[in-house]
Amino acid sequence: MLSHVQIFCFLASYSVALALEASRLWFRSGIRGMVMLGFVVAGWIAHTAFLYHSAITAARSPLSSNRDWLLLAAWVMVMVYFYLACYHPTTHFGVFLLPLVLCLIVAARFADAEHFPREPSKIWGVIHGTSILLATVTVLFGCVAGLMYLGQADRLKRKRPPYRKFRLPSLEWLQTANSRAILASMLLVGVAVASGIVLNLLNARQSSPSIPWNDPVVLGTLAMFGWLLMHAIIGAFYRPIRQGHKVAYLTLVSFVFLVIALALGMFVSTKHGGVVGKLQIENCKLKIANYGESREGWHVPELAKGVVSRHPRLAQNSPRASCPQFSIYNSLPSLGPTGGPL
Amino acid sequence: MNVQVVGCSHHGTSIVIRERLAFGREQAEEALQQWRLSFRDVEGVLLSTCNRVEIYAASQSAPIPDVEEIGRFLARFHRLDPSEIAPHLFVNTDQAAVRHLFNVAASLDSMVLGEPQILAQVKQAYQAATEREATGPLLHMAFQTAIRVARRVTTETAIHQRRVSIPSVAVADFARQIFERFDDKETLVIGAGEMAEETLRYLRDEGARRITVINRSFERACQRAREWQGQARPWEELHNALARADLVISTTGAGKPIVSIEDFRPIQAARGQRPLFVLDLAVPRDFDPIIGECSDVYLYSVDDLQATCQNNRALRDKELPAAQRIVEQESRRFMAEMYHRATGPVIQQLRDGWHKPKEEELRRLMNRLPNLEQRAQDEIRQSFDRLVNKLLHPPLESLRDESREGVPHGLLDALARLFQLRD
Repeated sequence: MLSHVQIFCFLASYSVALALEASRLWFRSGIRGMVMLGFVVAGWIAHTAFLYHSAITAARSPLSSNRDWLLLAAWVMVMVYFYLACYHPTTHFGVFLLPLVLCLIVAARFADAEHFPREPSKIWGVIHGTSILLATVTVLFGCVAGLMYLGQADRLKRKRPPYRKFRLPSLEWLQTANSRAILASMLLVGVAVASGIVLNLLNARQSSPSIPWNDPVVLGTLAMFGWLLMHAIIGAFYRPIRQGHKVAYLTLVSFVFLVIALALGMFVSTKHGGVVGKLQIENCKLKIANYGESREGWHVPELAKGVVSRHPRLAQNSPRASCPQFSIYNSLPSLGPTGGPL
Repeated sequence: MNVQVVGCSHHGTSIVIRERLAFGREQAEEALQQWRLSFRDVEGVLLSTCNRVEIYAASQSAPIPDVEEIGRFLARFHRLDPSEIAPHLFVNTDQAAVRHLFNVAASLDSMVLGEPQILAQVKQAYQAATEREATGPLLHMAFQTAIRVARRVTTETAIHQRRVSIPSVAVADFARQIFERFDDKETLVIGAGEMAEETLRYLRDEGARRITVINRSFERACQRAREWQGQARPWEELHNALARADLVISTTGAGKPIVSIEDFRPIQAARGQRPLFVLDLAVPRDFDPIIGECSDVYLYSVDDLQATCQNNRALRDKELPAAQRIVEQESRRFMAEMYHRATGPVIQQLRDGWHKPKEEELRRLMNRLPNLEQRAQDEIRQSFDRLVNKLLHPPLESLRDESREGVPHGLLDALARLFQLRD
């Protein structure tokens, strides 16, 4: 039965909840809150069922592909929204949070469903993936709180009365949320970086291909961590940076860092997280095929092994026997774990 | 059945008369006791606020005292000449009286439309009358319905959501949007105007406890600080106090701003980006308006808030028709229920009158058919019951229909004569 649950099911539920949340701007209704939460809960149950089914079908955790990762981030965001909607029923968090949830789900629909390579340590892999996931959610929430802060502050500066149909939390609440979001994201990105280093070291020890330190995603994440750490250190000694407009702007900058890190993972050649775009796979295949004619300094054994290990279906589906070029792959083990410059 | 309200309110009576007719808490209790002695079988509730003095009276059978009698009762209690107060008293009866009560409880008849205190005052008046055993079934029902109607108006319209006084707008629409809590905030009061006192009352309701008072006269500051359970500081510490404060209420009578932008720059630097809410209630203003452009400073003058107050008043007025529709609907429903209750004795007699021959006929039939099984006996009994109910249904339905517009005396008389019903 679980196999019948599709992304569309929970995408539709959350969309209806968002439409109901948006309808607050036009008319009052006594039962809307309950109906809205009902749709959110229904969507979340379908969402959970979908993730569970994906995990048991692939015998992997729900963090093992780009698509699962995005869906899990949306799943956590829905929980955050549900908590806020229950504890602050008159505040319009949904107008800000639900579009983010929908964006994550739509992105997941088009994301690569190919599984990441198995990490040398399952525990460290889970810590790494979970901390990145939670850091992403925290930064997204901080960004929402920052936008709400700027909107609320702008209204108060213009001396306009509060919009009854569009309530925002107080500046103090938003400032606290912003400040905590930045601190939490710094800690989570720190854990992600540390666990990533451990994984790389374990890879090196087991002679598996490791991720180079100058990988764009690694550099992007390190830059984000550096930014958050610097902010935390300065904030510890200079309190004003954690107050007022400044903290709201800082959460927005953190969001920009996150977007850059995610964009690097999606669109730039990287070995991190198995995020090898389809173009890159095609390119690798082409390079391997043209091995006889082209010697561009490519580290072919490592490259081929990396591609195949990250995309097992590529190896399974390739008519190796009828494709003489792929015989290179077959001969890889004999070249040793790291091969050598050809 | 009769329900009546006699009294005076801000609509047509000056405060001079209202003050003389007003009842304090103990006076109201004494008046209710006197009411019970004077009008033994008449239910009564006395509602006395700064805007109205009203006596609600009701009785199912006994005649209700008319406006002259109630005027004399009020005059006797306050030792006034009845002719002095008689021209100021209004009277409403039956549905008009019920509608008036619902309007009062829902704050549709208040001087400031939608002000929230009146419902609590109505509840207190009803409770006091109940404790003195001055109420009965009619006023119980009327006041409980009035409280329910007031809640319905609150939830189904936005009439109570908008604040209309400057201090309440300052606190509810602005200060509460900046601060989540007030118990850990420093409130600085500069000057000692009445507006500051009223604003402080709202802030105290929100939990503000840490209050500092600064005045050019330190003695006056100390006096005000004692009244408001705060602390006084000399005028020379104004800038330091501003650097520490989270909320500032300024109401001095200074002829020019007491804080210029040049004064404020070092204060802002010392504050370290902490948001500052400044309520400048002084005319001319105490704070240079340019200060409001500084980051994380929210400066409001009387004019800024006045605009919001007027806007809120207009929005409340806009909600008035919806609230009045609810009151009209509820008062009609209430009266229909009341009128229908008046037909209760006749309905009961009708039922009893049909029940008796039904039972006799059943008994006779069962005696003639002694070998009937229990199941068959039950079937026959149920069949007789259904028959009686079906025969009674048309007259009862006609009674209910007629009750919508008043007690159907004609129909009740006709039924009593047709079916020979006697009291």
